Amino acid sequence: MSTFAITAPLYTVAQQQQVEGKVISNGQTLSGVVIKVKESSLAVQTDGQGNFTIKAAKGNHLLISSVGYESQEITVIDHTPLTIDLKSADQQLEEVTVIGYGQQKTKDLTGSVASVKADAYKDQPVLNAASALQGRAAGVAVTQNSGAPGGKAKIRIRGNNSISGSNEPLYIVDGIALSTFNLQDLNVNDIESMDILKDASATAVYGSRGANGVVIITTKRGKTGSTQVSYDGFINFNTLPKRYDLMDGSTYANMANIIAGTTVIQNPDSYQSKTTDWQKLLFKNSKSHNQQVSIRGGSEKAKFYISAFYQNQDGTLLNTSQKKYGLRSNTDITINDKLSLGINLFAQRVEAHNNAVMTSKANPVMASIAWAPTESPYELDDINYNRTGISPIWVNPLMTALETDENTFSNIATFNGNIKYKIFDGLTFTSNAGLDANMSKSASLSNNWISPGNMKSAQGYSENYAFQNSNVLSYNRIFAEKHNLTLTAVEESTISTSNNFNAGGSGLSTLSNGYYNLGLNAAQSISSGYSQWSLLSFLGRAIYNYDNRYLATVSYRRDGSSKFQGSNKWSNFPSFSLGWNVHEESFLKNVESISKLKVRGGWGMTGNQAIGPYQTLGLLNPVNYSYGSTSSYQGYTIGNPTSKDLKWETTKQTDFGFDLGLFNNRVNITADYYYKNTEDLLLYTQIDKYLGGGSMLKNVGAINNRGFEFSLETSPIRNDNFNWNTNFNIGFNKNKVVSLGEGQDMIRQARIGGGLLNADIQVIKTGEALGAFYLIPWEGVYQTDDSKLNRKAGDYKYSDLNGDNLIGYDDMTVVGNATPKVQMGFTNTFSYKNFDLNIFIQGTYGHKMFNATYAAAALVSSDVAYPTLHAVTDYWTPQNPSNEWASATSKSKQYIESTQFLQDAGFTRLKNLSLSYKLPKSMLKVASASLGLSVQNLFTVTKYKGFDPEATSTSSTSDTSTGIDLGAYPSPRTYTVRMNLTF
Amino acid sequence: MKTKLYTILAASTLLLGSCKEFLEEDPKGSITEQTFYKSAEDLNAAMLGLALNYNLAWNQTGGMAINFGSDDITTHAGGNKKGFSDFDTFQANASNDRMVIWWNYFYQTIKSSNALISNYNNATDATQEVRDHAGGVAYFYRALNYFFLTRTWGAVPMPLEFSLDKKENSSPEEIYSQILEDLQKAESMLPDAWDAPRRQNGVDILPTAGSAKALLANVYLTMAGWPLKKTENYALAAAKAKEVIDNSSKWGYALLPEFGQLWDKDYQYNKEAVFGCYFNKNMPSIWTYGDNWGNGSQLGPPSFAPGEEGGWDEAFGEISFYTNFPAGARKDATYQKDYFLNNDPKKVVDYTKLTHKHPYFMKYRDDESYDPATHKMNDWWGNATVYVIRYAEVLLTYAEAHTMATGNADQSAYAAINQVRKRAGLSNLQTGMSKNDFQKAVIAERGWEFAGFEPASRWFDLIRTETVAQANANRSSAELPLLGKPDDNSHTFYWAPLPIIK
Repeated sequence: MSTFAITAPLYTVAQQQQVEGKVISNGQTLSGVVIKVKESSLAVQTDGQGNFTIKAAKGNHLLISSVGYESQEITVIDHTPLTIDLKSADQQLEEVTVIGYGQQKTKDLTGSVASVKADAYKDQPVLNAASALQGRAAGVAVTQNSGAPGGKAKIRIRGNNSISGSNEPLYIVDGIALSTFNLQDLNVNDIESMDILKDASATAVYGSRGANGVVIITTKRGKTGSTQVSYDGFINFNTLPKRYDLMDGSTYANMANIIAGTTVIQNPDSYQSKTTDWQKLLFKNSKSHNQQVSIRGGSEKAKFYISAFYQNQDGTLLNTSQKKYGLRSNTDITINDKLSLGINLFAQRVEAHNNAVMTSKANPVMASIAWAPTESPYELDDINYNRTGISPIWVNPLMTALETDENTFSNIATFNGNIKYKIFDGLTFTSNAGLDANMSKSASLSNNWISPGNMKSAQGYSENYAFQNSNVLSYNRIFAEKHNLTLTAVEESTISTSNNFNAGGSGLSTLSNGYYNLGLNAAQSISSGYSQWSLLSFLGRAIYNYDNRYLATVSYRRDGSSKFQGSNKWSNFPSFSLGWNVHEESFLKNVESISKLKVRGGWGMTGNQAIGPYQTLGLLNPVNYSYGSTSSYQGYTIGNPTSKDLKWETTKQTDFGFDLGLFNNRVNITADYYYKNTEDLLLYTQIDKYLGGGSMLKNVGAINNRGFEFSLETSPIRNDNFNWNTNFNIGFNKNKVVSLGEGQDMIRQARIGGGLLNADIQVIKTGEALGAFYLIPWEGVYQTDDSKLNRKAGDYKYSDLNGDNLIGYDDMTVVGNATPKVQMGFTNTFSYKNFDLNIFIQGTYGHKMFNATYAAAALVSSDVAYPTLHAVTDYWTPQNPSNEWASATSKSKQYIESTQFLQDAGFTRLKNLSLSYKLPKSMLKVASASLGLSVQNLFTVTKYKGFDPEATSTSSTSDTSTGIDLGAYPSPRTYTVRMNLTF
Repeated sequence: MKTKLYTILAASTLLLGSCKEFLEEDPKGSITEQTFYKSAEDLNAAMLGLALNYNLAWNQTGGMAINFGSDDITTHAGGNKKGFSDFDTFQANASNDRMVIWWNYFYQTIKSSNALISNYNNATDATQEVRDHAGGVAYFYRALNYFFLTRTWGAVPMPLEFSLDKKENSSPEEIYSQILEDLQKAESMLPDAWDAPRRQNGVDILPTAGSAKALLANVYLTMAGWPLKKTENYALAAAKAKEVIDNSSKWGYALLPEFGQLWDKDYQYNKEAVFGCYFNKNMPSIWTYGDNWGNGSQLGPPSFAPGEEGGWDEAFGEISFYTNFPAGARKDATYQKDYFLNNDPKKVVDYTKLTHKHPYFMKYRDDESYDPATHKMNDWWGNATVYVIRYAEVLLTYAEAHTMATGNADQSAYAAINQVRKRAGLSNLQTGMSKNDFQKAVIAERGWEFAGFEPASRWFDLIRTETVAQANANRSSAELPLLGKPDDNSHTFYWAPLPIIK
């Protein structure tokens, strides 16, 4: 690639001429663009103004290429100066949106689709695709449920539709629907764009899997031109963003003695210098890093994209970590002008240590807040842990954190191949076949600290794989210049299989083999399982537009599932949508300021299979009993009764929206209003206890979601040196349970943290959103005695809702819920010469969280004898009439299950603040480089009093048991140093 | 090109042709009702399910809350103990969160029993004898559970087969009649001994004919008292109890030499157990399935231990009852004497210096994780056996029933009660007592023998002899005041309120 080359002897001097030209892209001149004469291998570069001069003969071919742009080839005709306009590598995708089973020009789209390109989050050092999506698309709510390395995020599109079934959207990667793993397990740097199908007209195409919305992921592909090698690496420095303000040792000891009414801790003041800071012991500053190398290039015949990455995350909570590494290879081959072939291979391994959601109330985060600061972590010998302390009844958190050893090793892969055959002009046949697989192993070891006197080891292996084959026939024809018709027919089959095998034991004789030698367990047990489901689908769709002005789309999908029987096996999902490109009309064509105005609306039906396989068959429950020995024997109890009549949950959605572009699309506005009803919800209706209890699945119940989305993209300032782009999106969603079936208007959700929480505090109730909290209303502290309720001044005051003059669990009522109502994202990018500043603010509002961690530190309970929260020292006394904290000597029952601990979880967060600098090309001649510094979670404005308003101790897959902080793992604040090199 | 099109269409049609099988379900890893109940192993698996289900009613303190109305056991009203305390102070309501443990798990066991009763004869791969054994187990558990349900709640629904139809409550008369029918069947169908693993260390885990007879004796005795007052059943009770006593060597029943051994961790399987629930928290698959936690017992060690030693203060002994409890080896093994503050053996106090100022029970406290030198508990649960029927109870049942049936306390009745007293470290009972005085003495003996948290609870004795209010009249002023007033004539507070979620 030398700048000055020697003329080849093939050409006579007479034919040579000086060819001049200028290279631009998007209205801006480009420097450093390589112009090469194909026949002579002479090459030059454009100068700072984008001009070039090169010697070439008439008929020669000039190859113009530059890193990051589509290469072009131009034939020299005469000596008119050339102006060459290069398209940037991803400009191709700007005009086209990926919809199900195909693509559609964005201007012809009638459905509601949001696109998030890799560019949108390039300034934020994201570790997985869920983080990339958070706050970037209106109507898409992403919540980081756990801050553990590899902690799960919850992704919801336009609210929750199902109670028993999953509300997770469908993820399609290069045409294959993911069945065995989800979005977070992909390599985010391989993603070119994510197109989110939100309304029914877009998702009805996916029928029985589309009810929760669809995210179509297109991975990076090769492109013609010079091969581009790039490296991207960043290091994260993580720290705990917030601390609880807890009492020191002597304050705690004095308070404990007052509460107990006797000296339970001797010499309280001696603890002044002996305070144990449990938060400091359990949380540390940690480091994570991510490195990625990718190679991209190709020719007309074959294009490739290859990437490899390695990621290592160390958590802020002691002894939690995750390592991930993987490889991808995407190849697109053009065999001839009719036939092309694509092969995408991706494999990744994830090794996680102690990062599962902690549901036990005695987990290290919870215990670190509640443990007495007068207790030391070790016994006097400084070797053995101080196992139990004066308060709480839970064991030493340092011991639990350091001695837990639970690991998962996952091998994830997607392999897919597609063949595209152009039968004749306008008619193409594509066949896509793929496999997605998740083969994981789990291994755990419980030593004497974790399981005293009975050490255990266990291993488990699960094999999950899904085959999918879709065959698409697509026909496109323009009739009489103005009628544009595209017809698509699809046949698709999916089969997903899961096998698992578990072996474990107890009475492990030695730790010397770790968990690698299960035979050392004195008592052993094994179990295995199997399940499989399959789906067969047919789809027909017609897309029509008249003169690019009037648009219509109609689709009809029919799905058959193995999970249902008889006449319920098959179901049909129709949809239609209409659109009008108003800006193409003559009366608007001349209005300069309006460059785009489209109004659209649609209706469709989608379904949710919502249940596991074999639910209609009536399976027995396996159980094991020892008869009092150390051996395990297998038995069966009667399971839940079945119904052969189970069928799909159906969602019907109506959507209206408009897209407005002003000032040559310098300002882009999109707004949508939607209304969604889900019926025939599969619900477990409780069977009377005297009939044996348990529950039975029935299609009863309905949920409604309605909302409004708005997004605004503008480039207020755009000139040579300084650019300012903003992107604002906001979504409002109102979720309501309409019906739970006859005779039932409330279902209680089984509680976590039993013993600390003694009643179920979350319910599903008609008229409320999912995740409704059910608590005793707390009114503060009594300033005078209340003889009716037998409470004294200084006691906590609760509402006696049922008027029986007793305060108890009969006084619980619905008070708020955990489902957010508003999601907001606001990005501002400033570029000045080679500097880029990115400010990304994200917020979620309108929901509450039950802070059991705070409650454990603040109230006296059976589990926690003495509070640790510093605020409690301001308790009520006749001289200090507090309305917040009861007297330390109060003898009346204090209820954790009250609104005292229901806190507003809305927050606005400076999610990303980054500054990057592009090293000028002249500096490193071989490559272009950029360096970046950024901070994530710099600060959060919230009323929530816990570590993190997003972190919950419930599973990310549940929307009915959610928003409860029982020692939830918080997301860290992260400082990042990043480097990107492109050769 | 056309051929290419046809090939594609042909391929798709082939695909469609196999679509019917493609969508069929075949649960290879699971059992359905259609494939179960065929062989002897299937019957063993079903019986195991029954035993585990029943364990779930007894592996935590919840269900016995209804017994707190008796004068031997009480608790404080703080923390999460209010559910127990409400029964102690006679103010429990239908939303009580503790009693539902019994309601839910007894009925869950009944459901599985009903399924086995309907299906045991379908196991054509097994011999008739094996099938009868399984049927006997099912009848025994059903009868046992309805016995506890009706003594606790009175009129309750009585489903006798698996169905989803709602049922009205059946009267105690109807329920006892069904219990007798079931137990008579069980008596004839059950074996005298089982094979391993249903028999461990010479003790039968599943019920035997001896267990059925012992239970039948207790049922007759209870029917002779309130509410049925069928005094003719005293004789039937005495006869059944005598059958068990006379043939005790057939089933290996005998009193343990020392009362304390019943609560010793090394005596998990012992000859005094006529029927019990057995636990082992160290079994390997305890967390594999949800119900598997029925393999461990939360009754000890911390449940009945004082907070000063790291315990949970779930319940302790009432002061009057403790004071009037006769001294001896049995009292020493029933109540804790020395309490170590903060587990420091140098800081010994008696119960009056504790926060709750009540004596704590020593039953269920022993375990390998318990350190007797410091009273430190290193684990939150244990393996202590729950004795649903002890041989001591059979002896006392005989003593009472025989006396009430014949009208006087003869030598055999005294011999029976004195066996229990001798083992307790007491002298023989005063001779020449009248029938009623003797009965009072037996009831008192039962109270001391089964004080605290045993299935042969004093509460059931109080209600059948209509002496609840009388027993509570002695309640010490140091206890929480009673809110409700039980009445021995109108029988208020005799039945627990039916749970709000039936």
